[in-house]
Amino acid sequence: MTEAVLAAEAPGAAAPGASGARQFWRRLRTQRATLVAAVVVALLVLVALAAPLLTAIEGQDPTTYHPSLVDSARGGVPIGSFGGISGDHWLGVEPQTGRDLFARLVYGARVSLGVALAATVVQVAIGVVVGVAAALGRRWVDQVLSRFTDVIVAMPLMIMALALLAIVPSSFPRPVLVALVIGLIAWGNIAKIVRAQALTLKGLDYVAAARLSGWGTWRIARRELLPGIAAPVITYAALLVPANIAIEAALSFLGVGVKPPTPSWGQMLTAADVWYQAAPQYLLLPAGALFVTVLALTVLGDGVRTALDPRAASRLRVGTGRKREARA
Amino acid sequence: MSGLAGLTGFALRRTVGALVTLLAISVIVYVVFYVTPGNVAQITCGPRCSPAQVQQVAEQLHLNDPLYTRYLNFLQGLVAGQDYSTGTSVQHCSAPCLGLSYQSDQQVTALILAKLPVSLSLVFGAMVLWLILGVGTGVLSAWRRGRLTERLLTGVTLVGVATPVFVIGLVLMIVVCGQLQLLPFPQYVALTDDPEQWAWNLLLPWLSLALIEAAAFARLTRAAMLETLAEDHIRTFRAYGVGERSVIGRHALRGAVAPVIALNANNFGGAVGGAVLTETLFGLPGIGQELVHAVNVVDLPVVVGMVLVIGFFVVLANAVADVLYAVADRRVVLA
Amino acid sequence: MRQPSVIARRVAAASVSLVVAAGAAACGPEDNDAKGAGVDSTPHKGGTLTVLNSDPQQDFDPARLYTSGGGNVPSLVFRTLTTRNREDGEAGAEVVPDLATDTGRPNKDATVWTYTLKEGLKYEDGTPITSADIKYGIERSFAPELSGGAPYLRDWLVGAADYQGPYKDKKGLLAIETPDARTIVFHLNKPEGEFPYLATQTQFTPVPKDKDTGTKYEEHPISSGPYKVVENENDGEHLVLERNTYWSASTDAERKAYPDKIDVRSGLDSSVINQRLSSSQGADAAAVTTDTNLGPAELAKVTGDQELAARVGTGHFGYTNYIAFNPTIKPFDNVKVRQAISYAVDRSSVVNAAGGSALAEPATTFLPNQKSFGYTPYDHFPAGASGDPAKAKELLKEAGHPNGLTVTLTHSNAKDFETSPEIATAIQDALKKAGITVKLQGLEENDYSDKIHDVQTEPGFFLAHWGADWPSGGPFLAPIFDGRQIVKDGANFNTGLLDDKSVNAEIDAINKLTDLDAAAKRWGALDQKIGEQALTVPLFHPVYKRLYGKDIRNVVISDWTGVLDISQVAVK
Repeated sequence: MTEAVLAAEAPGAAAPGASGARQFWRRLRTQRATLVAAVVVALLVLVALAAPLLTAIEGQDPTTYHPSLVDSARGGVPIGSFGGISGDHWLGVEPQTGRDLFARLVYGARVSLGVALAATVVQVAIGVVVGVAAALGRRWVDQVLSRFTDVIVAMPLMIMALALLAIVPSSFPRPVLVALVIGLIAWGNIAKIVRAQALTLKGLDYVAAARLSGWGTWRIARRELLPGIAAPVITYAALLVPANIAIEAALSFLGVGVKPPTPSWGQMLTAADVWYQAAPQYLLLPAGALFVTVLALTVLGDGVRTALDPRAASRLRVGTGRKREARA
Repeated sequence: MSGLAGLTGFALRRTVGALVTLLAISVIVYVVFYVTPGNVAQITCGPRCSPAQVQQVAEQLHLNDPLYTRYLNFLQGLVAGQDYSTGTSVQHCSAPCLGLSYQSDQQVTALILAKLPVSLSLVFGAMVLWLILGVGTGVLSAWRRGRLTERLLTGVTLVGVATPVFVIGLVLMIVVCGQLQLLPFPQYVALTDDPEQWAWNLLLPWLSLALIEAAAFARLTRAAMLETLAEDHIRTFRAYGVGERSVIGRHALRGAVAPVIALNANNFGGAVGGAVLTETLFGLPGIGQELVHAVNVVDLPVVVGMVLVIGFFVVLANAVADVLYAVADRRVVLA
Repeated sequence: MRQPSVIARRVAAASVSLVVAAGAAACGPEDNDAKGAGVDSTPHKGGTLTVLNSDPQQDFDPARLYTSGGGNVPSLVFRTLTTRNREDGEAGAEVVPDLATDTGRPNKDATVWTYTLKEGLKYEDGTPITSADIKYGIERSFAPELSGGAPYLRDWLVGAADYQGPYKDKKGLLAIETPDARTIVFHLNKPEGEFPYLATQTQFTPVPKDKDTGTKYEEHPISSGPYKVVENENDGEHLVLERNTYWSASTDAERKAYPDKIDVRSGLDSSVINQRLSSSQGADAAAVTTDTNLGPAELAKVTGDQELAARVGTGHFGYTNYIAFNPTIKPFDNVKVRQAISYAVDRSSVVNAAGGSALAEPATTFLPNQKSFGYTPYDHFPAGASGDPAKAKELLKEAGHPNGLTVTLTHSNAKDFETSPEIATAIQDALKKAGITVKLQGLEENDYSDKIHDVQTEPGFFLAHWGADWPSGGPFLAPIFDGRQIVKDGANFNTGLLDDKSVNAEIDAINKLTDLDAAAKRWGALDQKIGEQALTVPLFHPVYKRLYGKDIRNVVISDWTGVLDISQVAVK
């Protein structure tokens, strides 16, 4: 079924045993690419958290205009080579406004990563609750929840986001709102994955045994199902984060994203796309930052999945193992 | 599954389910847009309209009726059709009538019929490309797993994931159409008018959309193939000296067919209405572009009609996915 | 004015895009390149002109269009009693006869206006155009089914306020008389010396009653102009116009109508339009746009390329972007606070945010800086190029805010250059230097428009803009500053809620004048006087920069529309 397919990248129902956590870390440590990705992600988060500090070191902030640094007669293109890069402005300045690009980029990381992560948390939370409830609940509960999930999946995400963002009063903190809206609209697929996975687990012997021995539904869900669901959920969530960054960018493109002067990568990309010829670095900076983030998160997600799922790990060894044998 | 009877039952259950889903969607859209800010009558009438005129327009559009009356009228039009006045004559909008656009007074059904071919052209063509790009990349990287080729391919597909479509599209357009002048600037030509021009004009939009979707297929294909490669019978083939090319092409790829079909149906449904940005950038007069405009001017009949059409395609695509998945993998039972 | 860009694409489209494009603009005095490449080569008849637009010609019905001077594409199909002079620059801001033999004959106090139609006028089907058809065309613009036009007819014609159009009310408008087939007489509520300007709007287009199909008329409106509609796909998204063989140049001194065919394609992204015009390949070589400006990024590229720079038309449309105050809300009830903000504003940042000095000219007057508006230069609160925070602080101190002030600036989130978040943040940044902390309240477009035009919800401090319905001070000042135009239960445009007897009396006095030059001078003086109250802070006047294809000849850009006049363009 479809939901099974969505989870296909994250197979492996094996529930980690008591020693699961230790094994997990051991396996994770053996993958170099994953470790590099983890370091990159950690750095990005660090940069985002330390944005005020970093910009203080540079001596700039993300909102001050510098009209003297742009050529007003030429549409406001930055004066100087490479977009006005200088000791004062490490990555140059924004066209038209002359705001410092380094400051906007690091502050933008806060918003983009923050919104994307928060939205992912909301998606995962709703998805897991709905999915597990549907799998363990009575038939009618499953029917209602599954139908509701279908409705959510069938609604055009952008359109609902446009409408919802227009309804909520503007006094509501915008980044929180954008995260909430993305989270509340786009949890359908993860709920389907969780439900399918939970149904499979429910049929397994050890869960059946637990049920026979009189465990309550809640206890079964917590002790037996959640660990088994973790692998596909984490893998899928690692893909959701970059997808959510892209959604935030698209909302900015349609004019309903995070509000100025708060910078976000999505907003920078939206503003920068037309400057591709006149001020290329303006587009390349946020695009590059986004690319590195997505790449790191994807590799990290893969690594975590492999570490969580021994079958996948052994599978990956098939190829490399053969090669070594051949060389030998 | 027991043959025909099972299939009929499946179709019946799915149809009922789809209808319930679509009805629920229409209710949600009605409620959401009812509370959306924007004085519909003033927007329709024009910003300089006097209060009296605005009132006349509101009556004309039945905006003063309570929400449930308006929704019931909508359902009635859907089932029985509806008459409306052009001022000089009375016209009939036959069932299923989705009402008239507040803004343009056009029948929503006619509007959808005009826009749908554009969206379907875009998505179908892009689908072919994303399957070629995605599955091709997936196969190559499963084959060359662990080597530089795989890393490079993964990197390239990730560019698609990481770059918003409006950036990819614009840069493609400036380079391919503007600087290299290899293609004309896209301008929608109907397939029925001139198939060749249709394809040339849509090539760039297809490519932009396909680049975004391809990565998911590449990852899925690679994962499914690696899983199959790990299975015992493949080891056996290898042990008997079957060539790597044959192992990959004949046996491992087969394992990827079912999930790829299903993911494809899933993405296809979403893309019919989800290609908003691609349509906007390339000026393709499709469903997505019209819908964004309708949302901005709170043109409720158009919004409801188009969201329902999009929902219909998602539901349909999911049902097709389930059938195909069952056909490709006999172990699955249709439910 | 038209308040363009707003929500309603219909309005924006109708407004001839003048508005939409307001994006950027700029002009420098040195921009005499308006004539473009083709100016010395003689224009010839023939060929196909392509129009690449972003907004579709939705509602292509003369009753529903909201235009300044009859619009650009609409004016090819719809003739009106009077029209704008199709000449470059200042001369183009004059009103001239179109279907009528003159610009109108007023009675002594300008409350009755009489027009006589030219002889030999015909529709596309060869039937003659009569004064009754013009009357009918005006009447149907009152039908709620065909709403969208400007408010003036309803306000000015005797007994028109509650008229619901000819579909519901068969008696018709008594204020319009047609004593014979060539004469039409208008009776007005009060003196209106600028009636000839109003008669340029498409509502003054003749519509034959037996061809009227109500809301369907837009699909194929009957042409009175040089071109007729042969194709109208997707509600104005793709429009093909071909010659109307019954139109005769001998009755039309304004429209040149060189091309044989006009192909209007809309729904295009603005950067795509400019990219296509700059590459000028194939049919795009004979292409223009009537609604898309060059953006700042494109301008940066164009200015570096002589070939491209020669293909840019520069124009001015009467338009002002400004900060509006609502003096009923604290602290903006204090004139010193309003003055302090006027001093603190950094117009060079604002101009940059609007696209730079080529696309926006700093404004210190509410009236646009053109002669026809009666432009009278003044700068009551000189802030220089980048603001005078010291003076602002001083005023704040006098106003009782020695430690500064925190205020909220409301703006629209719409992605255009006019009221956009970028301009709001430029103001926020400048006011910080004067000790004023600005919080930004960005609203979705519909919400913004509802709020600022409703006296109950109007914010105290917000970004606004105003454009000309015709190039004169009347439609620019009256809706904004005439106390009797404050609307309590609907869309209100007098956002400063000014109800000053002397201002009202002066508006009435100027409206009596039929000497438009004399009227212009007094509008200018009135603007200067109102400016003292600091109810608005004028920010900038946009300048239009439009690229056109390399085969385009005979480029004419008037001060009325500010954009290349499509009726003058030749492609051969």
